[in-house]
Amino acid sequence: MVGQTPSLTTFLKSLKQNDIETSIELFISLLKRRQIKNSRPCAIATTHLLLRVVAEPKRKWDAQKLIDRVGHVGRRLVAAQPREMAVGNIVRRVLGVIREVAERDEDSLTDSEFSGSASPITGEFKQRPGLPTRFSEFSPLHGAAAMPHNMHSGRPGTADSMNVEFGGTPQRPGLMSSNASYAGQGPSGTSLFSILQHPQGRSPLATPPTGTQSPAMGPSPSRRTTGGEANEKLDIKAEVIDGIKELQDELDVVDSQIAESALDHIHSNEIVLTHTSSQTVQKFLLTAARKRKFTLFHAEAYPNNHEATHATILNGAQGEEEDSDERWKPLTSLGITVILIPDSAVFALMSRINKVILAPHAVLANGSLLAAAGASTIALAAKTHHVPVVVLSGVYKLSPVYPFDTDELIEYGDPSKVVPFEEAEFMNKVDIVNPLYDWVDCDLVDLYITNLGGHAPSYLYRIVADHYRLEDVDLNAKQDVAVKKG
Amino acid sequence: MATPRPSSSDDDAFNIVATYRRVLAEDPDLTMPVAAIESLIVGLANTPSTTVSETLDLVSKLTAQLKSGISNPISLSAGTDLFQQYLISNLQRARGDFDQARNHLVQNGRLFVERAKAARETIAGFGKHFVRDGNTVLTNGGSRVVGALLRNAAESSNGSGRGSIRFRVIYVVSHSTTGNSVEESETAANIAALRERDIPVAEIPPTAIAYCMDMVTSCFVGAEGVVENGGIVNRLGTYQMASLAKAARKPFYVVSESHKFVRLYPLGQYDLGIEQNIVDFRTAKGSERGKKEAASDEGVADMEGEGVRSGSGSCTPGDEVDYTPPRLISGIITEGGVLLPSAVSEELIKIWF
Repeated sequence: MVGQTPSLTTFLKSLKQNDIETSIELFISLLKRRQIKNSRPCAIATTHLLLRVVAEPKRKWDAQKLIDRVGHVGRRLVAAQPREMAVGNIVRRVLGVIREVAERDEDSLTDSEFSGSASPITGEFKQRPGLPTRFSEFSPLHGAAAMPHNMHSGRPGTADSMNVEFGGTPQRPGLMSSNASYAGQGPSGTSLFSILQHPQGRSPLATPPTGTQSPAMGPSPSRRTTGGEANEKLDIKAEVIDGIKELQDELDVVDSQIAESALDHIHSNEIVLTHTSSQTVQKFLLTAARKRKFTLFHAEAYPNNHEATHATILNGAQGEEEDSDERWKPLTSLGITVILIPDSAVFALMSRINKVILAPHAVLANGSLLAAAGASTIALAAKTHHVPVVVLSGVYKLSPVYPFDTDELIEYGDPSKVVPFEEAEFMNKVDIVNPLYDWVDCDLVDLYITNLGGHAPSYLYRIVADHYRLEDVDLNAKQDVAVKKG
Repeated sequence: MATPRPSSSDDDAFNIVATYRRVLAEDPDLTMPVAAIESLIVGLANTPSTTVSETLDLVSKLTAQLKSGISNPISLSAGTDLFQQYLISNLQRARGDFDQARNHLVQNGRLFVERAKAARETIAGFGKHFVRDGNTVLTNGGSRVVGALLRNAAESSNGSGRGSIRFRVIYVVSHSTTGNSVEESETAANIAALRERDIPVAEIPPTAIAYCMDMVTSCFVGAEGVVENGGIVNRLGTYQMASLAKAARKPFYVVSESHKFVRLYPLGQYDLGIEQNIVDFRTAKGSERGKKEAASDEGVADMEGEGVRSGSGSCTPGDEVDYTPPRLISGIITEGGVLLPSAVSEELIKIWF
């Protein structure tokens, strides 16, 4: 990495040479210096790093050790840059993978006492992972064969707000089952039965009745079709590595999957407004532009992202690799009229706009989101003019964090972008702030499109519940307990 | 114990309504659903049954008695429903183990109560996330779990006893002339406990909510029952507070243990299935309601085991409830985390289907 600015690419290259502890430290410092920033690079770097951690040579993991190790590394990463929520999300996903593997392991080894994820919180929590939630088996996210895929399109909120019709998309079922999104085994969340459960361990009584589903359809073997391994002791390390690789695959294809629904949302001769130079949005619009003609208003996101936005409009979005010069075709080359506007013109133009498409920095559990500064203005203007707001977000941006205090989620950037330091006199007289993000409340958003399809904001909690384990939601809670114990 | 068949005369052997009232009175910390579960367990223990269907039959009979004996059975029906579903799902599976399953229930009544209380403590632990420095919190008192949450927020610090979060509380206190003394003393105790912890507390009448709303950062209320669509049934005045909070764009949080989730889908205020004498149209000749009741209530009166009902089918003053629709609620804080109102139905689906 001599002579090169450190970035995601150099970090990924260095991973192969450095030992694990050095890599962790390097990533932490890159995060702190914001040399790796934004959700996708953070998510990619985190998966690669955790893969290295899990695959540490000459280490034999049992589940608990692995959870502790990943949790420990994860906490350090999250502490380095708590506002990059993608890091925490990936850590939680990986922890979820480990827990799932551990539980499958235990399932196959008869009903030995459940120790894989001794939850520190209360006794009753301990039993929860064992309680299969039957609903989540039915959940579209599981892509179980028994599930009619039409259910997915039938979200009333979704359909109403946007007139979406996914049902007909022929490739969807295949997608769902193969590489939709690697969700862990449906976490049980809270069961209302929790106060009544049998107190000692997992009792056979403590499982809900088998209704339409046979017990064989249980959570363990159905999800990953690796075959007849259920009876032997699983190699946790290999399984977890597979899981992380699936996560990486998901990150690779997330934009294409989101873009697949583009034609359902962008109609001919529509006027669409977007903001910042998001790859996801560009891909989405490019997909639509191949078939349809529409007009795009592009708010430039001054002062933090305007250069990238201009470059995107002029030369097309940057490709997958951050540093490569390879770019996608610009929208204009496909005959799309693109109109660049300053952020301040958003309200004035909103009455002409048919649809607003936003890309978030992070999506929070209650359906609200963080996006580049200016997004809140756009969303409020859209609300005022009753223009639908569509948010394109990979599931990896979806965080189980509840926004207790929205102010502390906002990050402030370099004020010299607003007023350059040359104007020292100016600087002396006024305070200059440059918030990087805006918080957008959930009732300003009409639809989320993730790699799983379209969802109403009020449905996001379900996706959160399907992807993150209850035990992992608060990464720091565990630390408190550990500190108390130690 | 006297009658093995829970058919005709088990009223003589076991009075579920009286048991329920006793259980509730004995432990002021108990919520209504848990008290209902407790009474059903006592009923189960007192009446031997040997088959699954017999047990289920007994429980549903007792439940029906209990519901008809209490003027506002919404909250307790959360407990009875939960218990019934739990029985159905467990007893039917445990074919060989019927006695064991039954004994487990009968012997662990105390444990359920402890768990229910632990749930409250868990919820209280979320307090420090919701209440921040400089916040002003509005609550309408009477709820134990809100009290616990605020106390926890007041105490949350590095174990030094005195809290590190500086916040203020506005308590809506209704000094009704008819006086529900239990509720009022509870509110008073909550206020005293907060003041004890150096938290400034203001008491305001319900008429002042709108006046205060601008200085409020968030509202917290308890719930008697959380209904299927994510709305709540709670003390009269909650709906109005929620509406005002919404109008002022302040977050309105419901704090409730998940065992209060009840399978009820009210379409409006007058669809709760309980009789409330809140709107009483009168002419010089007297109340309009009185006439109607005299005509329609006779049939119902026979079905009730005994005249334990307070008043003629209507709630006593101070006990009235209203329904707060889900669109006014920002989040429901349960022991499992913060739920959106839309997540409630799923929790219910999990146990019912």
